[in-house]
Amino acid sequence: MRSKPFDSVRVTVTLRADPATAFSVFTWETDLWWRKGPKFRASGAHPGLLIFEPGVGGRLIETVDSPSGSRGVVTGEITAWDPPARFAFTWRPPNFAPADPSTIVEVSFDPVGSGTRVTLVHSGWSEVRDRHPVRHGLDGEAFVRMKGLWWVS
Amino acid sequence: MKPALPETFAALSDPIRMAVIAMLSQEPRRAGELAASLDMSPAAMSRHLRILRRGGLVAEAGIAEDARVRIYHLRQAPFDQMHGWLEDVRRFWAGQLDSFKQHVEKKRRTK
Repeated sequence: MRSKPFDSVRVTVTLRADPATAFSVFTWETDLWWRKGPKFRASGAHPGLLIFEPGVGGRLIETVDSPSGSRGVVTGEITAWDPPARFAFTWRPPNFAPADPSTIVEVSFDPVGSGTRVTLVHSGWSEVRDRHPVRHGLDGEAFVRMKGLWWVS
Repeated sequence: MKPALPETFAALSDPIRMAVIAMLSQEPRRAGELAASLDMSPAAMSRHLRILRRGGLVAEAGIAEDARVRIYHLRQAPFDQMHGWLEDVRRFWAGQLDSFKQHVEKKRRTK
């Protein structure tokens, strides 16, 4: 996987299921395992449904139902789709400034014995340089919190 | 001035500047020494050092004996800040993968 060590994060987990099952559950049942709550979802406390549209160009999209109506929040777009071995998607939560490029998340599924090792690498933070006026007046730490990985407002 | 984290990351996104950081992690050095070690002109090194200074990663100091000499050293704070930020990202995904693993294995048991 391409990524510079200083600006990427790698997380792995080994589980008892074959790669084909793991890939399928990861991408088809996303809403069932993706953690709930405002730290993890645009919908926060409202009902929502989070899905990957399969294939290159598909979106990571969450539909959010709130009293003011229903809307779709797109966090990323699939850039590589190679089941059951790997796929990749861009990561650009709504709190990124308009000029910011996306970061990228790559997920691979490698057979280990009768199970699968899932490796997730999130990289590209060095490309995110905010020149948006909203940053003025904030110190680095506050800016980072605001910009955040997730949706906490 | 406390630089924003994206500027810190951006300052590091260059192999020359990474090499400068590696050298300064051993000991403080003069700009001329850094330029010579990396086979660069003083002007080119000066540009890289300026970007690193703006990113808050290095600072310069003078010496009493010679006002023209500037010694560069690393600043710890931005490295701690970067580490803290990446640790937040790591925790986010570790929690997600853990939740994914539980879901996959529960599903498998109930089949």
